[in-house]
Amino acid sequence: MHNRGPRRVGGCLEEIIFLSALDKPVLIIGGGVAGLAAALELDRRGLASLVVEKGPNLGGQARGFCCKALEVCARCGACRVGDLLQQAAQRPALGALTQALAVAAQRQGAGWEVTLIPQEGPKPTSPALALERPLGERLLVQTGAVILAVGHQVFDARKKSRLGYGRVPGVMTAGELEETLAKGGLPGQARRLAFVQCVGSRDQALGRLYCSRVCCGFALRLARLARYLEPGSEVTFFHMDVQDYGQAWRAELAEMRAGMRFIRAIPGEVRPGAGGPLAVFAGPDGQPQEEEFDLVVLATGLEPPVAAPALSEMFGLTPGAEGFLTGGQGVLVAGSAGGPRSIAESIESAAQAAASAAEHLVSGQAPSPEVAHA
Amino acid sequence: MPRPTLCWVAAPGLEGLEPPALAMAAGLDLDQGGALEAAVVTVPEVQAPDKLRARLLGRPVQWLDLAAELGGGGEGHRGQRAAAALSRAAGRASLGTLPPLYSPQPNQRVLVAGQGLAALAAARQAALLGHPVLWALSGDDPAAAGAGEDASQVAGLAAGLPEGIELAPQTELTNLTGAGGSFTAWLKGPQGTARQRFGAVALAPGGAYRAEPAPPGLAPDLSRPLSACQPASLASAQGWRQVAILAGVGQPATAQGFARALATAYALQAQPGVQVTLLFREALVAAPQGERLYRQARQAGVLMARLGDGEPRLADQGRTLVWQDQVLAEDLELAPDVVFLCEETGAPWPGFLDNNLLWPARSRLLPEHARLDGGRTARAGFYVLGALRGTPAGEDRLAEAAAAVHDLHDLLGGGAAPLPAVRTLTCARCLTCVRVCPHGVPEHVEDHIQPAPAACLACGICAAECPAHAIAPPGWSTAELMEGLACGLAAAPAPAMVLMACGQSAMPAFAELSRSGHVWPAGLLVLPLKCAGRVGLELILRVLSLGAEGVLVAGCHEGMCRSVTGNLRARLATGQAAGTLSDLGLGPEAVSFLHMANNQPQALAKAVEAMYARLGAVE
Amino acid sequence: MRLNDCDPSFKHEIARQPGGEGIKTCFACAACTARCPVGSLKPEYDPRRLLRLAILGRREEVLSSPLIWLCCSCQNCSEVCPQDVRCTDVLTAIKNLAAAAGYAPPSGQAMARQLAAHGRLLEVGEFENDKRAELGLPPVSEQPGDYQALLGLKPEAPRPAGEGA
Ligand SMILES: Cc1cc2nc3c(=O)[nH]c(=O)nc-3n(C[C@H](O)[C@H](O)[C@H](O)COP(=O)(O)OP(=O)(O)OC[C@H]3O[C@@H](n4cnc5c(N)ncnc54)[C@H](O)[C@@H]3O)c2cc1C
Ligand code: SF4
Ligand code: SF4
Ligand code: SF4
Ligand code: SF4
Repeated sequence: MHNRGPRRVGGCLEEIIFLSALDKPVLIIGGGVAGLAAALELDRRGLASLVVEKGPNLGGQARGFCCKALEVCARCGACRVGDLLQQAAQRPALGALTQALAVAAQRQGAGWEVTLIPQEGPKPTSPALALERPLGERLLVQTGAVILAVGHQVFDARKKSRLGYGRVPGVMTAGELEETLAKGGLPGQARRLAFVQCVGSRDQALGRLYCSRVCCGFALRLARLARYLEPGSEVTFFHMDVQDYGQAWRAELAEMRAGMRFIRAIPGEVRPGAGGPLAVFAGPDGQPQEEEFDLVVLATGLEPPVAAPALSEMFGLTPGAEGFLTGGQGVLVAGSAGGPRSIAESIESAAQAAASAAEHLVSGQAPSPEVAHA
Repeated sequence: MPRPTLCWVAAPGLEGLEPPALAMAAGLDLDQGGALEAAVVTVPEVQAPDKLRARLLGRPVQWLDLAAELGGGGEGHRGQRAAAALSRAAGRASLGTLPPLYSPQPNQRVLVAGQGLAALAAARQAALLGHPVLWALSGDDPAAAGAGEDASQVAGLAAGLPEGIELAPQTELTNLTGAGGSFTAWLKGPQGTARQRFGAVALAPGGAYRAEPAPPGLAPDLSRPLSACQPASLASAQGWRQVAILAGVGQPATAQGFARALATAYALQAQPGVQVTLLFREALVAAPQGERLYRQARQAGVLMARLGDGEPRLADQGRTLVWQDQVLAEDLELAPDVVFLCEETGAPWPGFLDNNLLWPARSRLLPEHARLDGGRTARAGFYVLGALRGTPAGEDRLAEAAAAVHDLHDLLGGGAAPLPAVRTLTCARCLTCVRVCPHGVPEHVEDHIQPAPAACLACGICAAECPAHAIAPPGWSTAELMEGLACGLAAAPAPAMVLMACGQSAMPAFAELSRSGHVWPAGLLVLPLKCAGRVGLELILRVLSLGAEGVLVAGCHEGMCRSVTGNLRARLATGQAAGTLSDLGLGPEAVSFLHMANNQPQALAKAVEAMYARLGAVE
Repeated sequence: MRLNDCDPSFKHEIARQPGGEGIKTCFACAACTARCPVGSLKPEYDPRRLLRLAILGRREEVLSSPLIWLCCSCQNCSEVCPQDVRCTDVLTAIKNLAAAAGYAPPSGQAMARQLAAHGRLLEVGEFENDKRAELGLPPVSEQPGDYQALLGLKPEAPRPAGEGA
């Protein structure tokens, strides 16, 4: 295990892990797909790391997502979380601490000394894996480099109050639909489904002038799955544009267009109707039109992580585009903490973060993103 | 035959079981700290204490994740299930094991072929990890950027090239054979063609722009590719009043291509007297800054025109574009002075990869596959990067190159599974393994089957398909599997059923259910596999002949098999077995196949339940 | 309609009007259309459509359209617009341009006359002030001067210093 020892800090004895000097030269904050992938990539390079996760389970948000395959895999990436957890469990050099929060960081030469405190919180949702060990006591970690993989925050659909979330029964977010389907069922008799896209994205009025990139993909795959599970159900897809996810996707999209109703308009309002939520939208003739659904699903976008301002301050980082995290000297960013990314993209971005962290360990000078862009 | 010992390592989920009784039931000695001939351990290798691992070094060991196989239920029930699982492991352990076969050191050299950001990043990272790199450049300049790449980013990286990179300018990779740890590459340079050996190969040709096709019938003098409109030549825009830009009209655009069209539209619109109309089907705003560019262009005054299928139509000898405005539902016409065609980057698929004797079809080598990420292809140790793969320029290419290099470093450093063992005496030289191995491992060399040293993922497809039982990854020969299953089935209460569980999908889901206390039928025996592809017709029939009343094979969803075809092969074998059973007048429902993902444990629980229900009905 | 015959400067002109700044950023999502109460009463009325015509540069068609005057300035559209177009204000800007071009509808012109004459849309006379006195309200007087200045009927009265440009 780690080289531990007591140290006197401000009159108190603290336990300290000398990460940089020994076997775990990189500290990874956040144990979602990006954090896990970063740990694996470092391990493939022969470098050890310690993952610090504030929640009780590793895997992040994608752990609750459902498989969107019909007979054929839809390449949604959700099961990659399981892959990563399994691979991580087979690599003894990987360490993870759950229910731990980084609260302070201090530069130490080219590396950092980071303070972790235990985080009170909910119990693990699934049986804890051997990898998931809760942090019991306050801990100091010395590390050569830090990878921030704290993920994104999902847009709070209540802020788009007209769309009825939290007020109108039958309005749910896509994340909730993911979890419902993952647990093996559609709520009740959901035969008339509507999806509303770009909720909290592509929105100047909310200060979110970016596309969240993943929601077209997961929403349409969820819609298709819902239709598959409940044959005869009808899907209406309210959108502005459908983003592109490559060759195979285009063929699937053509099929989905044939089987679902695509309406290029964003509803102005969703209110309670007699038999379900009632959406008000501009019909093809440009007239306001009302239609009742059983379920209205809001494709909520990806926002900067809640921890972004605190982490930026802790590590002296300049805030990045749209409020997402950017790296600095010896601080790298992976996954959706650095901007809207899919699971696959989060995993890949972790490889670059790992490579840069490794270079920083050698030279004390990682090519910071700014330099690379220059 | 070695007599195996039960090394009981307590783990969460094993509470309440009695090791002595279980050891007895499974025909094992219980470990008392003495000498060990062979062992069954109740936890996976990484969870075993160091001392035990040291004691077991060099001995045949069956590492069993017992908690993952057990599940909940009463004490007696769990005891029964544990006894069957232990018996299976004991049967297997009693055969002893070949020490895993690792190769002579795999070749550590890395070939990077191509130019631009992806090639540069791959060469750099591989050299930093200590691999000797030969970088075959198509041109002379390692700092040359591919189309769509940021020249200063490339130059910045090229400025600090680490040691250990040998540059081979004007050199082309013309042919390639082999797999991880042992590739042979034909390199054609100014001095002629030379053959060289490498451990891993990254193919990363620099990208070139390709303009989308103009709408058929458009007056030819009107259209030009977008790159003909560089800011420097914007002066020539003076004469233009109406400029049309087609973005994703003749072919699907990508977000990167669309963003470039937006940037050009914005720059042109800023010219006095110019009105730009951007025609597209979907606004692909997912590239970094894409939505911002989209809004900026509108704000500058660019007209956005969304087209429907079959649009734009042409009029006036191909000089006027006609389409229906989607808001107004009426036709709009535009007679532009110039039409720019959006461009995408790409690179041609190298001809040698089309040699179907040496390489699988492109859809098998490089399928759109959720597990083949980070530049990986189905051929272990062979990576396709950058423009050739369609990866957007910039950070994505760096990330992909880094992931590829980490993977090859891991493979060449011994992170791969041990080699498959080939029994040369029984091998019929039928080359079945060469044909079926999805990762290109077995090679036919001097009338031998010789596995590439760092490429086997132990999927077991070769073992399932080899008609002579001459090849199998260590521990995976049919004889070994059968010995374990025979003992396990003998200990399992009737009705006994075998779940052949793919390690990528079914086994993790099974383990999760077990850990959360799911109660499995007492007679359910699990056979954890690395890949469902290990299951062939013969294996299923032999398991049935051992007395199993049902066989459920569970593998990944179609298109998700890490070994590309393993799940399909297993499904086929299951179907064949069902056919054979009904030919024999037996119930074909005794075998079935389940496609699932590791996050669908309920699907597995349901399938097991359904199978048991059917077994009950058959009885 | 040929775009070559449209007026590409029209959108810029609207954007230069106070309140009209947002027009060009509309991306036609139709959230405003869905929320517009006028649209649900008068089928031809669609704020998105008016914006689209303006963006395309169909100046005469927009300015002369009687529809632009139907907007009731309820701000429903501005509330839902994801592009912060401020549709209500854009329509006000368009109305101002239309009025300047002589397209104010007769009802509007009558209102302007009323304002010029009385400073309000209703004439306030003794009858009204008597009624107000009965209710205990102070009398009001007519001060049409400001409106006359606004409507260009009389030179603008000098404003007290510091009251804005
Ligand atoms: C509704 C919805 C559906 C989606 N569906 C798909 C899909 O089908 N396919 C797809 O590819 N992508 C999908 N995505 C995107 C996907 O969620 C992300 O790509 C992915 O979760 C990113 O992984 P990550 O590891 O970067 O972040 P996360 O999954 O957010 O993980 C971050 C982890 O860091 C932890 N953490 C946060 N702050 C701290 C801190 N201060 N200290 C320690 N730990 C911390 C969190 O607890 C969490 O475990 C979807 C997104 C949404 C919103
Ligand atoms: S990638 Fe998605 S659709 Fe494919 S198997 Fe995994 S979870 Fe299912
Ligand atoms: S991915 Fe689709 S739904 Fe999500 S913000 Fe982009 S366009 Fe809207
Ligand atoms: S086990 Fe799989 S990867 Fe290994 S040689 Fe056999 S078929 Fe190839
Ligand atoms: S809501 Fe805004 S962006 Fe959408 S159509 Fe109306 S004005 Fe345009």
